[in-house]
Amino acid sequence: SSNDDHLSSPCLSLARATTRGGRTIGIYLAGGLFALANWTFLDAAILSAHAHAPYEDPQIPPPVHVGFVDWVPGICSLLGMLVVNLIDKDRVRGEEGFGDSRAVWRARLFLFIGFALMAGGLAGSVTILVLKYVMKELPEQFLYYGYANVSQNVALMLSAVVLWISQSVSSEYEYNLSI
Amino acid sequence: LNMATHAGIKTVILLSFVLAVGFLMIILSCALWSNWLPLLVALTFVLAPLPNAIFSHCGNDDFTTDYEGSGPIDLGRFITATVVVTGFALPLVLTHSDIIRPGACAMSIIGGALVYGTILAYSSVFKQEEADYD
Repeated sequence: SSNDDHLSSPCLSLARATTRGGRTIGIYLAGGLFALANWTFLDAAILSAHAHAPYEDPQIPPPVHVGFVDWVPGICSLLGMLVVNLIDKDRVRGEEGFGDSRAVWRARLFLFIGFALMAGGLAGSVTILVLKYVMKELPEQFLYYGYANVSQNVALMLSAVVLWISQSVSSEYEYNLSI
Repeated sequence: LNMATHAGIKTVILLSFVLAVGFLMIILSCALWSNWLPLLVALTFVLAPLPNAIFSHCGNDDFTTDYEGSGPIDLGRFITATVVVTGFALPLVLTHSDIIRPGACAMSIIGGALVYGTILAYSSVFKQEEADYD
C-alpha cells in the first residue's frame, strides 16, 4: 500500500528492531508499566493512610492526606487508556475498505476523547502536585504524594503508547503509526 | 527415550524442591513476624500464569500457524505482566508503609520469584516434551 511516505526514521528503526516476538515483549512491557503506575500511586495512598504523628511531638497530626481528589487524575487516565485500546485500529485508518465514512469519523472522535482523557489526567496530576503540595510548602515527605501521582499518570501514558506501538507494528507490511 | 524420561523425572524432582523452598520462604516471612499479609504474594504468583492459560485458547484456530495479533491473547499477556509486577510491588509497598518488616519483604520477594520461576520452568519443559511428539 502507499504507506511509505508516513515512515519517519525512529519509527522505521523501531519497526526494523521489532520481530514477531517484539509484539509479545511490548505487551508484557505495557502490562508491567500499567501495574507499576498503579502501585506507585497506591504506595502513596497506603503511606498516607498509615502516616502517624512524629514521635517527638505526638500532638501534630500529618498536615495532608491523600484524598479523593488525588484519585481523580488516575481514574481519568485509566478511562482514557480503556477508550483508546477498545478502538479498532483498522477502522481509524479508514483505508481497509469498511465503506462507512461515518464510522471512521466516529472512531476518530472516540480516539480523540480517549487521548484527551489521558492528557487531562496527566495535566490534572500536575495541577494537584502544584496546588495541593508544592504551593503549601509541605516537607519533602508529603511532596512524595504529588510526585507519585504525576509518575502514575506518566507511566499510564507510557503504557498506552507501548501497547499502541506494539499492536500496530506487528502486521509485517504496515509500519505506519499515522493516526 | 529412557534417558529422556529419567532427565524429566530429575527435572520434576528438582523443580518441586525449588517450589517447596519458595513456599517455605513465603510462609517463614509471614510466621517469623506473625504478620500474614505476605501470604498474598504467594497467591499472586500462583495466579499469575492463569490469564495466559485461559486466553491462549481464544482467538486462533488450529489452522493458523503464524501468530496473528489477536485481542484476547494480548489481553492475557497484559494481565499476566500486571499480576507479576503486582507480586513484586506488594511487599515493597507494604514495607514502605511499615506494615511488614524489611526482612519479611526480602524473604517474600525471593520466595515469590522462586515460585514463579518454577512455574515458568515447568511450563517450558512441559511444552518441549509435548513438541517432541509432533
